[in-house]
Amino acid sequence: MLVVFGARADRLDGGKLLIAVRIPFALAFLLTVCATFAPPASAQDTPYFITDSHHLEEPGTLEIELSSNYATQRAGNDFIAPWIEFEYGAKGWWTTELYLDSQHIFNDGALFTGWRWENRFRPLMKEHWINPVLYVEYEDISGADKTMLEVVGSDSQADHAVRNAVASREHKHEIETKLILSSDAKGWNISENFIAEKNLGHQPWEFGYAVAASRPLRLAATSSPCNFCRENFVAGVEMYGGLGTTDSATLSGTSHYIAPVLAWQMPSGVTLRLSPGWGLTDTSHRFLLRWGLTYEISGFGHKVRSWFR
Amino acid sequence: MKRLSIPLALMLASAMFAVRGAAHEKKFGDDRGVMSAIAQAPPETRDWQNPYEGQPEAIAAGKKLYLRHCAECHANDARGSGHAVNLRSPGVQNATPGELVWFLRNGNLWRGMPAWSGLPIERRWQIVTYLKSLRR
Repeated sequence: MLVVFGARADRLDGGKLLIAVRIPFALAFLLTVCATFAPPASAQDTPYFITDSHHLEEPGTLEIELSSNYATQRAGNDFIAPWIEFEYGAKGWWTTELYLDSQHIFNDGALFTGWRWENRFRPLMKEHWINPVLYVEYEDISGADKTMLEVVGSDSQADHAVRNAVASREHKHEIETKLILSSDAKGWNISENFIAEKNLGHQPWEFGYAVAASRPLRLAATSSPCNFCRENFVAGVEMYGGLGTTDSATLSGTSHYIAPVLAWQMPSGVTLRLSPGWGLTDTSHRFLLRWGLTYEISGFGHKVRSWFR
Repeated sequence: MKRLSIPLALMLASAMFAVRGAAHEKKFGDDRGVMSAIAQAPPETRDWQNPYEGQPEAIAAGKKLYLRHCAECHANDARGSGHAVNLRSPGVQNATPGELVWFLRNGNLWRGMPAWSGLPIERRWQIVTYLKSLRR
């Protein structure tokens, strides 16, 4: 369990340890303290790690999330890649998000691997059977990034077998766009993402997809307060993978994954998510394990503004 | 660094706009705003029957959901706060349960009321049942 949560501290030197292990654990502790003392707030998040739905952050709400991706490596050392998200509801129709990525390859080392800035926009103001959302993200990451927040083109597990000293020399400036289509019906959420990503260093466009479905384990709420009851759990499954590039639009050599997801939304505003994933092709990692801890601060925008009055 | 300057400048500008924007979200709190938003509900929503109408269990469940999802803006007693409507006001209480459950699903995104379509309809009905119980 300690390996999964990135606590193999004996293999790291001090500075890298600070980034890869201590900061995430300090933030996890901070989130737990916040959850204990802050007033309850809870949104309607889906349990997915990769797939986006049309549910945006509530206006003025800041969501802090600490997540991690553990993967087994066929030829090389397993790794864990923690990342931190700050998601803010700027408007009812616009959510903006900052990611800070890091990773640790066992028996190699730990790195801060870069940042991402993501924006999601709802062009339609009313709910429909299928709700589109437009997504634009700028990424400034190194070749050692292993968060696998999207799988595009012919991304493969071999890309992650390169040692940190070599992989970190590559810098990527990328634009990622998505068309998100999402529906809610009879308690189910069904979401489909079509991904197009472009390395600004004259690389071809890379394509990918993510599809997911989820449902609360109980639709109606019970009358009494509870933490460990079915209404607080959302279960589902997501599938994602690459679809080649503009130069080579083929499924050959692409990676695909299927991953059940489970979220526990506690009334305190904390959500825990867990998702084991399995690779479906020879170029995929055999096994992934993602986990996430989320805390919401409702009315954050109003509080910040009140400081400047 | 030069390469980073444009995204960083854009990010800073949008962060300022975002915080300012959320704090300046137009008031959806007055009766007129709510009435006009609810008036957009399709006519058939007026005939939707609340499956939980008057049920004490549903009122209690609705209150629990209200405190979890709505009270931050609308206050624990549902009388509203600076930027959010008083849910005991005639504009809300005179709307039919069907119109309210439709409004909860769609929200009023331009005016800062989020769409609660991610909540199962059963829970939206429970919230409406609780809101209607405040009339007494």
